[in-house]
Amino acid sequence: MTELLVGTKKGLVVLRGPRGGALEIATRSFPGEVVEYAIRDARSGRYFASVTHGQFGPHLYYADDPAGAWQQAEGPAFPSGAGAAVERIWVVEPGVADDELWCGVAPAALFHSKDGGKSWSLVQSLWDVPERAKWNPGAGGLCLHSICPWPGDPRRLAIGISAGGVWLTEDGGKSWRRSVGGLVPRYLPEEARADTHMHCVHNMKRAPREPSTIYLQFHGGVYRSDDAGESWTDIGSGRGLPSDFGFPLAIDPHDPNRAFVIPLAADADRVTPDGKVRVYETRDRGSSWQALDKGLPQSQAYLTVLRQAFCNDAGKPLGLYFGAQSGEVFGSVDSGKTWSTLATHLPPVTSVRAA
Amino acid sequence: MAKVILTGSICQHVGGLGAVAVSGSTAREVITTLEASYPGLRGWVVDEQGALRRHVKLFRGGEAVSLDAQLAPGDELHIVAAISGG
Repeated sequence: MTELLVGTKKGLVVLRGPRGGALEIATRSFPGEVVEYAIRDARSGRYFASVTHGQFGPHLYYADDPAGAWQQAEGPAFPSGAGAAVERIWVVEPGVADDELWCGVAPAALFHSKDGGKSWSLVQSLWDVPERAKWNPGAGGLCLHSICPWPGDPRRLAIGISAGGVWLTEDGGKSWRRSVGGLVPRYLPEEARADTHMHCVHNMKRAPREPSTIYLQFHGGVYRSDDAGESWTDIGSGRGLPSDFGFPLAIDPHDPNRAFVIPLAADADRVTPDGKVRVYETRDRGSSWQALDKGLPQSQAYLTVLRQAFCNDAGKPLGLYFGAQSGEVFGSVDSGKTWSTLATHLPPVTSVRAA
Repeated sequence: MAKVILTGSICQHVGGLGAVAVSGSTAREVITTLEASYPGLRGWVVDEQGALRRHVKLFRGGEAVSLDAQLAPGDELHIVAAISGG
């Protein structure tokens, strides 16, 4: 059985069906509302949906059954005196400790839940880092969108901020340090790169089987860290990718040498390059990339795939799924060798996660 | 007491009621009291820092007012979400 949580500009769509077979819309929640992100915490079975109500701001909901009643969580919300209000809830990530979850929002901040996502509190230590004053919003706003727990160790976390770089903690979020060594912000004048804090991380994923390995899609470049985010190596230049720009990133949870990206043409042209929809795979830690396109549109197809709209499941062979702003959802259950169209005519897709 | 008139989807957060009598001498006080009675409303009309949501308007009678507007007993305070169209 496959269950996909598809956030769209007009509600949450839950697709269900046999793995590798046709999926159908099992339920649609929050009709008419922008669902930025939805995920199921596999530990508890609880579903989460981040909804931005047009007039009434962002709110986080949880439910045990997406077709049933959704409860509004307490937060995430900044404490009084923080001088900020949550503008958008970008990501919810199950943690390692029991009932622990993390949440990233705009303006860039991290929230923590110790009760299974029912209530949230600001990680004040990250909010208070002096460098925050030097962060700069990208086109999507100043957002914390990537949260990478360390399997088995709740003290270690890596987060990605656009545009505020990579930050690491080894004490469960009590203290933080920036780690951008090796990331080259080619979008800045050369003389401005050394001192900048405007490292525009687009996506970041940790390999669970080898947690010291992290892949990162940058605003211009794909990078890998072999030392848990301490330093970064360019794996995107001259190795077979049609573009160094993009947002979507997925990994093989069973193989730390394997990652997947969906390049977009350029920052000024955020569509699939050359009118072809292609996922690119590396099996050798980024030494080379190969196109995976069998079953995907290969002519006159200019799709936009957003940051959170690409995911992997935990299956063997691996399942990969992504959605487009033009309302299609594509999937593969053979690690990307072949693809099928799982849904069409949906509202613009903001996020896709396998439940 | 002022009478708060709610329309649209935010009624769901006050038990489906379209009108509620609430004590308070300003719009801000009235909304704070309303949130205390109906916690699900928190964060919807004003954000967590107490600022009126950008696309929400308050009307006292027929006049658009701010959160600091004074309310006399019997005044009606309408909480209205912006509409869009073209």
